[in-house]
Amino acid sequence: MSDYITTIGIECHVQLKTKTKLFAAVDNDARGAEPNTLISHICLGLPGALPVLNDKAVELASRAAFALNTKPQPFSKFDRKHYFYPDLPMGYQITQFEEPVVLGGHVDIVVNGEQKRIGITRAHLEADAGKSTHPAGTDYSLVDLNRAGTPLLEIVSEPDMHSSAEARAFAHELYLLMKYAGVGDADLYHGNMRFDVNVSVSKDPNVLGTRSETKNLNSFKSVEKAVEYEVKRQIEVLEEGGEVVQETRGWDDTKLATFSQRTKEDAHDYRYFPDPDLPPIELDQAFIDSVEKSMNMLPAEYRTQFAGLGIDPKVVEDIVNVPETAQLVARILETSGGEHAKRIAFWTVQKTDDNSDDAQAAEPDVKVDDKNLVKLSELVSANKLSSTAAKEVLKEMQKTNGDPEAIATAKNLIQESNEDELAKIVAEILAANEKAAEDVKNGEMKAIGFLVGQVMKASQGKANPGIVQQIIKKQLNI
Amino acid sequence: MANLTREDILKLAKLSRLKLSDAEVEEFTAEISEILQYVQMLDDVDTTGLKPTYQVTGLTNVSRPDEISDYGISQEDLLKNLPARDKNYIKVRKML
Repeated sequence: MSDYITTIGIECHVQLKTKTKLFAAVDNDARGAEPNTLISHICLGLPGALPVLNDKAVELASRAAFALNTKPQPFSKFDRKHYFYPDLPMGYQITQFEEPVVLGGHVDIVVNGEQKRIGITRAHLEADAGKSTHPAGTDYSLVDLNRAGTPLLEIVSEPDMHSSAEARAFAHELYLLMKYAGVGDADLYHGNMRFDVNVSVSKDPNVLGTRSETKNLNSFKSVEKAVEYEVKRQIEVLEEGGEVVQETRGWDDTKLATFSQRTKEDAHDYRYFPDPDLPPIELDQAFIDSVEKSMNMLPAEYRTQFAGLGIDPKVVEDIVNVPETAQLVARILETSGGEHAKRIAFWTVQKTDDNSDDAQAAEPDVKVDDKNLVKLSELVSANKLSSTAAKEVLKEMQKTNGDPEAIATAKNLIQESNEDELAKIVAEILAANEKAAEDVKNGEMKAIGFLVGQVMKASQGKANPGIVQQIIKKQLNI
Repeated sequence: MANLTREDILKLAKLSRLKLSDAEVEEFTAEISEILQYVQMLDDVDTTGLKPTYQVTGLTNVSRPDEISDYGISQEDLLKNLPARDKNYIKVRKML
């Protein structure tokens, strides 16, 4: 069936990292809050309530614009999108229909080693709806409006993707961009970032097929799997002589399948009009410049920097996947140079290795001082700690953020590099193991490992094996 | 567009979640058509080159800092006029 061309566009909702809601000065963090405790007359849509725009949301949307390789629009405004649902108390959603805050832009992704540019159509601010639950066996539903009015940025891509791998890579890169730019926490587990994928297939490269929209995907894997499922389903429908229906579909994460939710026969009629309660946003050049100046480094720059240290691309991705790690490595690079940066990068990545797939896992759980990390790395550079011992010390540091040398000393891990001290032990071992010493002298280098082992044992593991080997060779005159 | 059909009114009713009797459908078909016709006199105005009016206040950038306030209204006051409650939840007819 490879003669079908797949076309994919993605819409993504990012929850903005603000303290308060988009139009009400009410706490925005609904996680774990009791139902309907984070509400106001505005969230409830009570008559006469006046929504007032949150400054911070505009700033974060502007940061998103730069992360998407464009600039915020100097003029944007809010519209009302009408539909009736119990979790939407006003009877309309406040969104930006005609003049969004972001127009254009792009995201570069890499799939199978090839870079590809995915266009961004637009991104606009809008208020989230509330949450409803449907207790089983009852004839009612329950509504919690804590989430009503939470600021979202909806980012709409061009239909520029043509495979499930590209869709996944785009979703993942968008996640990193929003996190690095400080736009949102992009905590997928808590639904801070949700993806809708539009998929169509066609044999004619110049004509798009009818598309389906699978909504509310909250992991990169489900984005990938939903595209795969839809491509297969649509091709099957067409091959059997049927027609793909334009419709909204849901995603079942256990069956790894999409299912029909509602068809678009009854084309949506949202009756948009400008919201008279909300004056337009005008951004002047000084504001736009100040946002641009305040932008953090984005993933692409980190990738270039770390690749420059000779770090393997796979490891670079592991580092970049966690902004805190990337920022840490970059800081170390600046203060203490490439050797320490590279070593600390590997330590940090190994620590997060078990949390492989989806990105929400890999937050480092401990804050170890940069200074202590560098000190630990210096101990390795000075041959005072083996790399295995360093990892053991690091584990302890992650619990206590203690001084690495103190921890290493307490754990008796400091390597003996004092050559006079070691030379004595080596002389004793050589005297006690004449046969092995003779073998080494006769070129049987296998035996040297045995001797090194004996010295290590005698030094209670504190000798530096590299140095021990040198001393043995020196004493045997080889 | 000036004369709305029965179907137009039924669609409007559906979008507005309103149940209309046959008599009401007829009544509104005529009434809303009249309103539309009246408003249609705006079509005679030449608006070439004019920017659409989104706002009549002339205001821009009305915003607030990102700080929490309780507006001096208690949660209980906000919820006390709800038609139905289940503890702190708003109780509504089953939706699917």
